Amino acid sequence: MLQLDKVSVRFGGLTAVNEVSLEVGSGDVVGLVGANGAGKTTLFNAISGLVRPTGGAIRFNGADILHAPLHRRARLGIGRTFQIPQPMHELTVRQNLVVAQRFATGRVDERKIAEVLAFTGLAEKADRDAASELALTELKALEVAKALATQPKLLLLDEVLAGLETNGKRRFMQMLKGLHEAFAVGIVIIEHDIETISQLCHRVAVLNFGQLIAEGKPAQVFSDPAVIKSYTGA
Amino acid sequence: MQTTKNTTKNTTMSKTSLLALLALCVGGPLLFAQDHYVMSLLVASMVIGGIALSWALLGNLGGMISFGHAAFFGVGAYTSAVLSMKFGVPVLAALLLGGVGALVAALAMLPVLRLRGPYFALAILAYAHIFRILATEWTSMTGGSGGLSSIPPLPTLPGLDLSSKIGAYFVILFIVLVFAVIYARLRESHYGLALRAMHESEDATRVVGVNSVVLKGMMLLLSAFMCGVVGAFNAHYISFLEPDYAFSALWVTIPIVAAIFGGYRSISGPVVGAVVVYLLDQLVFKNIIPSGHQLVLGVLLVAMIVFSPDGLLPLLRKLFKGKFTRSKHAAT
Repeated sequence: MLQLDKVSVRFGGLTAVNEVSLEVGSGDVVGLVGANGAGKTTLFNAISGLVRPTGGAIRFNGADILHAPLHRRARLGIGRTFQIPQPMHELTVRQNLVVAQRFATGRVDERKIAEVLAFTGLAEKADRDAASELALTELKALEVAKALATQPKLLLLDEVLAGLETNGKRRFMQMLKGLHEAFAVGIVIIEHDIETISQLCHRVAVLNFGQLIAEGKPAQVFSDPAVIKSYTGA
Repeated sequence: MQTTKNTTKNTTMSKTSLLALLALCVGGPLLFAQDHYVMSLLVASMVIGGIALSWALLGNLGGMISFGHAAFFGVGAYTSAVLSMKFGVPVLAALLLGGVGALVAALAMLPVLRLRGPYFALAILAYAHIFRILATEWTSMTGGSGGLSSIPPLPTLPGLDLSSKIGAYFVILFIVLVFAVIYARLRESHYGLALRAMHESEDATRVVGVNSVVLKGMMLLLSAFMCGVVGAFNAHYISFLEPDYAFSALWVTIPIVAAIFGGYRSISGPVVGAVVVYLLDQLVFKNIIPSGHQLVLGVLLVAMIVFSPDGLLPLLRKLFKGKFTRSKHAAT
C-alpha cells in the first residue's frame, strides 16, 4: 500500500531523514522506533505531506504522491495523529469528526461517526464539550477518532500513548489492539516503549540519525546489537 | 444535559433578540420617515454595516484581516455605475453585477492568500491603491479624477420609490439582511465548521482533507461580492462617484471600528456596531466637538477593546444578565 523509496528530508545542513526505504501493506501494523531526534516524526510529516522530501519517492496504492498536497493525501486515505494533540478547539467532539469525514470522504455518515465515537470512548462527550475542554486522555482519543473519521487506509499514529497516566495508557492500549481489526486499516505507530511496540506490531523499523538501521519482527529487531547500541548509546 | 438546556435557552434568547432587532430596524425608521437628515444617517450607517459585515465574514470565517475593502467597495460602485450609465443595464441588475465586479477584482488578489497576518493585510491594502489609480487613469470609462455624475438612481417600484430616503433605507436593509442570512447559513455549514477550525491550526484541518487555500479563497470572493453590492448601492444612492471618494480609506477604517465595537465574531455585531457608532458620532459627538469628533470614537473603541473585547452585544448581554440575576436574588 505505502512504498517509500530512498526518501530523504533535509533542513539546511541537517539531514533529518536519510534515504529511508520502507513498505507498509494494508494488513500491517508497523512500529517505527528510534531515539529522540532519529527522524520518526519527520518521516510521518513527509508521508502525510507536512514537509516535502528533498529526495526519493513516495507511492500510495500505486500513485506517486510525492508532490500531492496534505489534503489530497488525506482524501487518498492517509490519516494521521499528532504527538501534541491538535483538535479543532472551538468545535465539539462530534463536529471535529464531522469535519474530518466530510472533507476527507465528501460525505457525512452518522452511523460511521457513531462507530468511531463508541470505539474511542468519546460517545458521552460527543455533543457536550468543546474540544478545548477535554482532558489529555480524551484529547489523545479525539486525535485517533478524527483520523479514523477520515476512513483511512493507512493510519500514522505519533506517540499516542505519550504523557498518559497508567490507567489511561491501559485503556488506550486496549483500543489500539482492536484498531487494526475493527477498521481494517494499515498502521504505522511511533512509540518509545518497546513492550508496547512488541504487543501491538507485526513488524518494527528502527531509525537512527535519520537512517533505517533495522527492520523485522519485534523480537528479532530488539535483540539486534546495532539497535541496542542506538538506544543505549553503548 | 445542563449544557443542552443552556444552549436551547441561549438559542431562544438570541432568536428573541434577533426578532426584536429586526422589528426595530423595520419599524424604527418609519417614525423618522419624514426627517431626511435622520434617514440619510440611517442609510449611511447601514452602508457601513454592510461593509462591516463583509469585513467580519472574512475575518471571522476566513481568518484574514483586510485593510483593502475599499477596493471592493469602489470597484462595485464603479462597475454598477458604468454598466447602468453606459450600457443601459437596469439598476437593480447592475447592483448585483457590481458585486460580481468586486468578486472579479478579488480574483486578482488570490495570489496573496498564501500570505499571513500583517503581510496579507498590507498586500490587500496595496491592491486598493492600484484600483484607485486605475479608476483615476481610465478616464474614458470612469471619468477620471472628475468622476461620474448623474448616476441613475434606484428605481421606483409600484407603490414604493426606492430612490427616496425611506425606500433606499429598505433596499440597503434588505441587502444587509440577505447577506446576514447567507453568513449565518455558511457559518453553521460544514464549510463554516472547517473555517472556524482553521483559525486554531490550519495543519490540523488540512490533514483531515480540508483544502484551506480554496476555502479561504471562497471567503475572500464572497466578502468582496458583498462589499461590492454595498458599494454599488451607495453609487446609485448618492448618484455621484469619484476615485478618492469611492476608494477612500474611510470605507475600511469606519467599518472595522464598527465591527470591532459591535463584536466582529457575531453576525449582528458589525451591523449593530455600525448603527451605534455612526449615529453616536453624527448625532452626539459631532454636536459636542464639531471638529475632531472622531477622537471620541477612538477612545470608545479602545475602552471597548479593553473592557469587552468581544464587543458591544456580549457586553450588553452580560450587563442585562447581571441585572436580571441581581433582581432575581433580591426577589428571593
